[in-house]
This record gives sequence, C-alpha cells and structure tokens, in this order.
Amino acid sequence: MKGVNTLDGDLVFLSMSAKGYANDNPEAGPKMKKTLEIAKKHNPVNLGDMKTGNILAVSEEQIMNNVVDTSIVHAVFNNVADAAAFAKEVREAELGISLVISAPFDKAWEVADKSGCMGHTIEFSGGIWGKTEYLPTPEINDFTTMCGHGMISRYLVEWVLDRVKKDKMTAKDGAVEIGKQCCCGIYNPDRAEKLIKAIVGK
Amino acid sequence: MKIDCEKCVKCGSCVKYCPLGAIKLDEDCAVIDQARCVDCGDCIRTETCPVDAFIYEAQPFPRSVREAFSNPLAEHKETRVPGRGTEEMKTNDIRGLFGKGIIGMACEVGRPGVSCSFKDVDIVTRALAEGGMEFAEENPVTKNMVNKKTGEMSKDIMNERVMSAICEGTVPIEKLANCIKLATEAAKKIDSVYSLEFIDRPEADRSVPMQKVLDEAGIKYYRNGKFNLGLARPLAQ
Repeated sequence: MKGVNTLDGDLVFLSMSAKGYANDNPEAGPKMKKTLEIAKKHNPVNLGDMKTGNILAVSEEQIMNNVVDTSIVHAVFNNVADAAAFAKEVREAELGISLVISAPFDKAWEVADKSGCMGHTIEFSGGIWGKTEYLPTPEINDFTTMCGHGMISRYLVEWVLDRVKKDKMTAKDGAVEIGKQCCCGIYNPDRAEKLIKAIVGK
Repeated sequence: MKIDCEKCVKCGSCVKYCPLGAIKLDEDCAVIDQARCVDCGDCIRTETCPVDAFIYEAQPFPRSVREAFSNPLAEHKETRVPGRGTEEMKTNDIRGLFGKGIIGMACEVGRPGVSCSFKDVDIVTRALAEGGMEFAEENPVTKNMVNKKTGEMSKDIMNERVMSAICEGTVPIEKLANCIKLATEAAKKIDSVYSLEFIDRPEADRSVPMQKVLDEAGIKYYRNGKFNLGLARPLAQ
C-alpha cells in the first residue's frame, strides 16, 4: 500500500442511554432519534442503529422509525469540521445522553475543543494478543476491523479487491458492498474506498 | 444456521460472505460447518442467496449462546442491550464507574474476527480473576461464570464457539501491572486472539493516570480509541 493515512478521516460517534440511571426513561429513544437527525445535517458518511442496521444496507426511514430506548445509534464523519459541528449541535440540544467518539486521540480532543465538549473518559486499545497468525494481512485487517463485531468477511474483502483490480467493480461500489455486512453503522465507506484505491493502485 | 440442500443451486455466492469461512461448496450444495459456525446471521442478512436457501432456527441451550454472543442484532435476555459487553466507558459520564484509581480493563476474546471457544474465555477470565479484576455484573460473560472469584466459566458452554466474548471489569490501579502480566501470559495459552482495552479518566492537564502503568508494562496502545464527550446528565464527577 502507498502509505495512505485513512485513520484521520475516520471519526465514529455512538450514543446510548445508561440503563438503570436517571436518563433511562421513555425519552431515550426520541433523544437518540434526535441525535441521528442532527447527524444527517452534517454530511455523515454512514449512520445506523445496532437494532436495525446502517444506511448502506437498510433505508434511513427504517433506521429512524425503529429507534427505541435501548438502541445504540451511530454516525460516521470523515473530517473534524463536520464531526465538531455535529457534536456542538448535540451538546446545545441538551439531550442528556452520552455521546462517544472513536477516533485518533488528537482528533478527538480537537472535536471536544471545537464543540465545547469535554474529555470525560478515555479508552485505550492495547493491541491484539494470542495467536495473531490467525489474523488476515494488515491490509485486509484495516477493512475487517472497521466493524467491531467482526461481521466483515476477509473473503469478501479479497473478492472485492480482486474485482476492482480487474475493473469489474468500482472502488466506491466495492466499499459499499463490504459495508453492508457491518450492520450497526460504524463502518466508514469513505475510508474503505481510499484503502481500496491505495491497495489496487488506482 | 443451515442451508436447505433442496433449494440450493450451488452458485457459491454465499461462501465469501461468511466471516469465519464456515460455508463450503459440497458435491450437492453449499454446506455450513456447524462446529465453526457461530450463528452470527451474516449470511442471511446480506441476502446474497438467490433462492433463500438459508434456514434460521432458534437453537436450544447451550448452542443458543452462539447467537447471543455473535449476532450484533441479538439482545441478551438479561440486559435487553444488543452487543457483546456492557456499556463500559460509553456511559461512564453518568455511571462514574471508572477513574480515580479504578481502571476499566477488558479482553475481548476472539476479536478481531477470529472467533473463540469458551475454553479460551475460561483461560482468560481465570487469569483476570487472579490479577484482581472485579468482573462487570451486567456482562454476559460474567453471567455465564460459576465462580466470579476464580473466573471459572460454566462447563455447559465450554464447547461452544462465538465470534467474540468480552471479559471485562475493573482493576484498582495498584493491581493493574500484575493483571496485565497474567492476562498476557494467558494469551499464550489460548487458541485464539484477544483485543486488550483500558479505561480511565483524563486529568485536567489531559494526562491519563493509567498511561504510566501501561508504558511500564510495555503495552503499545493505538493512537486512536474511544473518547466519552461528557454530555450525559447528571454528570458523574
């Protein structure tokens, strides 16, 4: 691969209500729906709900109509400006529900600063341990790990890369095809398209 | 998950969609390796089969744990929450479980995309228990333990495979180094992989107290990760 930095353009948000706490109430569903409505205004590259799926696989209407109190909603952006504008509007809406960003930490702090949010809690990923020989190549892993639930098949990624190499599929269509497997909506098709282009040299 | 051999036209389009490579083309039709399949439902959701040959049937216990731990759209009965773990740091801004010397730690066995058996999980949970982890009560792995002090998992599910299982809880910062040591030693004994995670609260100067322990333990953490923006109310201080 030609050393393309795609991680800086991968800013994933999720929102959920805390079960058994003050905001575990019938308003949680509508509040998360509001979060998705705000996200739609700021150029997301993906949206979804753990209960329903993402916009690459199901309709936006289906997602919005199925948001419930125990949903976990997601929105993905490919730049800090859109991500910060989204976070700022969610903060100003005073929904009172947790909002988490998964991103490079320097970008996450930038989003927090620009949106008037705080860095309340941080989670570090301390690597992969055990029989790492079972993992696909790092290039394939960049795609499969975009879905935290392991739903993206390494075999599908290999098939897509082969199709794009042979001009039987565009990188954009290939990125969407892979993303259909990540049902919750944290997959970033924009990043995947860049990765595909870098790998196949197009 | 099964495939109706009478319906299957042996086109092979489903094979590449299985994240665990559990679907193979046999002489007569596509077949699913039942030992390898974790009932994640990916094959059905992708709607790749032109003749709807996939058959979903809810499975009795203990096979039922496969779907509960592998299908992201399945809810765990106890929590009604989809997914494999707890809310962990995602709602720490209201729950206030982590920080001030209490570190969140998790080993997600089987992640990324390898899958694991509960024999692997048992090895990891026992190591974490010995290291001083207090397991998260609402976590589905914890709910399948027979002894939370030792981390021993139920023998009933030991032969079941799942996409991943999150062993998680809290560790006092003074015990963290030893817990990491035991967990990384356990990694050498499992026939799978795990992803390692740590949770803490940043100080006013943006330093993170657990970072010193992780550095001394030789943990190389990624430059990206999860970051709670503190919008829940009432805010946990």
